[in-house]
Amino acid sequence: MVKGSTIRMRKRILLVALITIFLFFSILIIRLVNLQIINAYNLFKMANSQQLASTKLTAKRGIIYDRNMVPLAQSATAWDVVLEPNYIKNDETRENIAQGLSEILDIPKEEIAEASKKKSSYKIIKKKIDSNLKDKIIELKTQKNITSGVRLIENYKRYFPMGTLASTVLGFTGDDDQGLSGIESQYDKILKGESGKLVSAKNAIGTDMPYDYEHMIPPKDGQNLVLTLDSNIQRIAERCLKQAVEKNDARNGGFFIAMNPKTGEILALAVEKNFNPNSPFELCDQDKKILEDTPEEEKQKKKSELLSKQWSNSVVNSLYYPGSVFKMIVAAMGLELGLVDENSNFNCSGGIKISDRIIRCHKRIGHGPLNFVEALCKSCNPAFISLGQKIGSKNFFDFYKAFGFHEKSGIDLPGETKDVFFSEEGNMKPINLAVASIGQNFGITPIQMATAACAIANGGELVTPYIVKEIQDKDGKVIKSFSKKSRRQIISRETSKRVSDMMAQNTISGGAKNANVPGFGICGKTGTSEKKEKLLVPGQKDYMSSYCGFAPLNDPQILILMGIDTPKGGQYYGSVVAAPPCGLAFSEILPYMGIKPQYNEEESKKYGIEIPNLVGEKINDAKIEIINLELKPVIMGKGEQVLSQVPSPGSLIARGGTVILYTEDNAENDKVKVPNFIGMKKSEAVKIAESAGLNILASGSSNEEDKIKTQSPSGSEYVPKGTTINVVIHNDNLRD
Amino acid sequence: MLNKRNSTKKEETKPKKLRKKKKFSFRNIKILGIRSGLDMPFLILVLLLVTIGLVMMFSASYPNAFYLHKGDSFFFIRNQAIFAVMGLALMLFVSKLNYQSLKILHLPILITSFVLLLLVLAMPPINGVRRWIQLGPIGFQPSEITKFAIILSFATLIDKNFEKMGTFRYGILPFLIIFLPSAALLAMEPHISCTVIVILLAAIMLFIGGIKLRWFAYVLAPMMGFLGYLVLFTNKLTYANSRIAGWLNPFDSASGVDTWQTRQGLYAIGSGGIFGLGLGNSRQKYLYIPEPQNDFIFAVVCEELGFIGAVIILILFATLIWRGIVISIRAKDRFGTLLGLGLTMQVGMQMILNIAVVTNTIPNTGISLPFFSYGGTSLLMLLVQMGIILSISRGSNIEKT
Repeated sequence: MVKGSTIRMRKRILLVALITIFLFFSILIIRLVNLQIINAYNLFKMANSQQLASTKLTAKRGIIYDRNMVPLAQSATAWDVVLEPNYIKNDETRENIAQGLSEILDIPKEEIAEASKKKSSYKIIKKKIDSNLKDKIIELKTQKNITSGVRLIENYKRYFPMGTLASTVLGFTGDDDQGLSGIESQYDKILKGESGKLVSAKNAIGTDMPYDYEHMIPPKDGQNLVLTLDSNIQRIAERCLKQAVEKNDARNGGFFIAMNPKTGEILALAVEKNFNPNSPFELCDQDKKILEDTPEEEKQKKKSELLSKQWSNSVVNSLYYPGSVFKMIVAAMGLELGLVDENSNFNCSGGIKISDRIIRCHKRIGHGPLNFVEALCKSCNPAFISLGQKIGSKNFFDFYKAFGFHEKSGIDLPGETKDVFFSEEGNMKPINLAVASIGQNFGITPIQMATAACAIANGGELVTPYIVKEIQDKDGKVIKSFSKKSRRQIISRETSKRVSDMMAQNTISGGAKNANVPGFGICGKTGTSEKKEKLLVPGQKDYMSSYCGFAPLNDPQILILMGIDTPKGGQYYGSVVAAPPCGLAFSEILPYMGIKPQYNEEESKKYGIEIPNLVGEKINDAKIEIINLELKPVIMGKGEQVLSQVPSPGSLIARGGTVILYTEDNAENDKVKVPNFIGMKKSEAVKIAESAGLNILASGSSNEEDKIKTQSPSGSEYVPKGTTINVVIHNDNLRD
Repeated sequence: MLNKRNSTKKEETKPKKLRKKKKFSFRNIKILGIRSGLDMPFLILVLLLVTIGLVMMFSASYPNAFYLHKGDSFFFIRNQAIFAVMGLALMLFVSKLNYQSLKILHLPILITSFVLLLLVLAMPPINGVRRWIQLGPIGFQPSEITKFAIILSFATLIDKNFEKMGTFRYGILPFLIIFLPSAALLAMEPHISCTVIVILLAAIMLFIGGIKLRWFAYVLAPMMGFLGYLVLFTNKLTYANSRIAGWLNPFDSASGVDTWQTRQGLYAIGSGGIFGLGLGNSRQKYLYIPEPQNDFIFAVVCEELGFIGAVIILILFATLIWRGIVISIRAKDRFGTLLGLGLTMQVGMQMILNIAVVTNTIPNTGISLPFFSYGGTSLLMLLVQMGIILSISRGSNIEKT
């Protein structure tokens, strides 16, 4: 027992060894299992969150096209200026950066200097600068030899190439490229795509790790939208609306809807005033003045109020009383229920007594005895009130619901408002029913009215209005397309046709004649409603003047609803305020849509000569052809062949009009100044136009004594000889 | 086999006694071990651990060297490699020496240890503690010497008093005289972790040396009582208290308790997962873990080599300890057994405590990981000690390869 280990010693050594190796090592391994397997993911995530700095990569927002693939909203590359304080090497660089950026970006120098001292590796100091400023910053970096500390990160800026066109519909986007109103907001998810990430590893002091660790999740670009909107029709709509609003001094602007009555596609949707989506937060001059007059403490509130008003879309966001336009619906109810026919007799004594109250007709002395067609054409209130009483409140409310007034139209625009009717259940008092029969005292949205009118036009089917036709991926592949969504059949095809015929008659001889464009079979109804809320001056009457019409009678392609809100220019009847601009719109839109006029015998004497294509023909043949059409040829130049012609082939020209045939190349240079025809009778205008080498195509009233109220192109513009000038003749004495 | 060994023992008895008598005659001391070859498995394990240790030390130290030493990524590894080469050479040299000659050195080494422990208390404190003695460019910790001095002197005395280890006078008293001042001086630096290791080593050696088990109870009971008193009724150990608070709740500790190092270590270990991020790919070493080349190097190992790599390294350590124990048991004399065991257990204790700290199994205290952590002189010292174990292996009765 002297040498080496004894038995007891060995036992004790073994004990120590076993404890050390098995017990302690097991504990350590269990601990590692716990940390590296069981809790590994949590720890890894926590470690990541301190190690990884991620930079957002903005996805390119999708393009919004009109139905002809004209881009209305698109995103262009812009740059965010990012300060990376952790990478700024010394105070001299800091000074250079603060000084330089402050000059280029117009930010106080102290602000940048302050930000550059923060312990951070990413701070955006200016968003979405254009390439001009970007170049200046790059120049600064090269000049001052700034290698790190300032970065330019690609971003996108929303850009509306058409400016204010359809701005209310399109909406606009905010700083983070998020849609804030209109289509941009409604379809934000589809348009915005998915932003990507650039993840890079940072060490504990916030600069890059020296080895290459970067992980990029590329952004997924947004999808494109194709609208049902036609920018040409939209442009016509906006111009006509603007003219009407200005001419009539409409204090609350107005709206204009054009839709395809068969499918519910919105072809144009204009609201006056619109805003510039490129700078949506800028108030119009008029509102700026209002803001200036507001006391300082209320300015902020007033500004946001004005802005939200500026962005709102009264077609879907607000209610109005449809007034006499609604009579087309009441007429359809009466015909559908068989309570009335075209020859039913009514008698108007200038008012009707409904439970102790007398509701007056707009014609105080009364229309006398009249049939149903005449009642509509004269928009006779007592006649429609008595029809309403016959229909009864239950039927009236059932039809009201059937026409979709008691539900949202379902249009794909944000913020649609619900109607306000007398009672949710529809049990109205007789006086309620009476005023409802003439479209008063219940609120609906213009889009509800237009959609219901579409059912009158299209054979009785209620469709859902829609404005997005297709969703395409960024390569133009169609991902989803939308088409007509039928809601229900409300009235028979026959009723629809009968109401349309009455409205066509109304356009020829009734209150809607200011919207007539001969040959196109226009059906229309005007309306003037008395406003009950938000009156400019309490106690004084404010009106909403509107017109709703569609064309052509036999195969309606387009329906227009226009409202002029609170006209203060002297005139307030819809027939005088709203119908003429709609006539002008029809006269431009229908030919644009490729709809050919079909004149009856009488009309074709006055209008309606379609110009053949003469380009390429020998000059003498062309001349004879024109003379045979009872038109006047004017030959310009000494060539032998017709090189171009004004008006262009297919356009319409009144009998006796002038056709200019160019035989030489300088055709377009031969321009004349358009005379001002406004205020003239048609016969006078034709004479002057003839002498100027221009043609006149008139719409509106066909009464020889009525005067021209609008023209397009306007006076003093220069146009090629032979151009057709569209004029609208008004009858200011129409009451409706 | 057993017979053979028994017969060898008998043969050996006489020369040992002879040698003992001529203790102070230098002519009779065998400087060189002449018996046979050294233990190859142990040598290979040491070389493996030194190599892996260097590679991992380089990986872990790279960012700190890069950021804090002006882009010189090789700052730490250069030093460490020089010491490793010197250490390996010394190890092989020491392995050729006869470890028995250390017996006569135990007293001078013990005295050196005490002198240095006193000297270090006069040094300027670094981070509030006095652990380092700086000699020109080279710094070292006297505690490294102390650990060795305790092991050596305990081995010598236990061997000498072996028959009387059951008594207080021979089995306890001499050891207390050596141990208590050493532990007290270490605690004054303060160097708690080293004190703990020294206590553990002393206990293990006395236990193996054959003292009566009740002595552990006599010492442990009042010690635990005193410690409990300090922790519960005074705030003298706030330093330790806050460490315990941080230990229990490293991710959400009370204010004033700094658990940054522990937390970052755990992030690293967890990030490694099963397979690790790959050699050199640790992210936590980028200034997150303070001084990743030092005590927390194992966290970086776990992050880069994953659970599998960490376990392989644990197994290497376990094998090394096992082999060290086997060598010790089979040493040709009792002194060799005790010395070899003490040295092996020192490596084992340190390694277990280090990994326990890094994995937050015990409260955070500064213990370096043998073969891995940065520190030239301590690596040198470690390899010399490995050389002694190899020297013991030359005389032991195990198969040589």
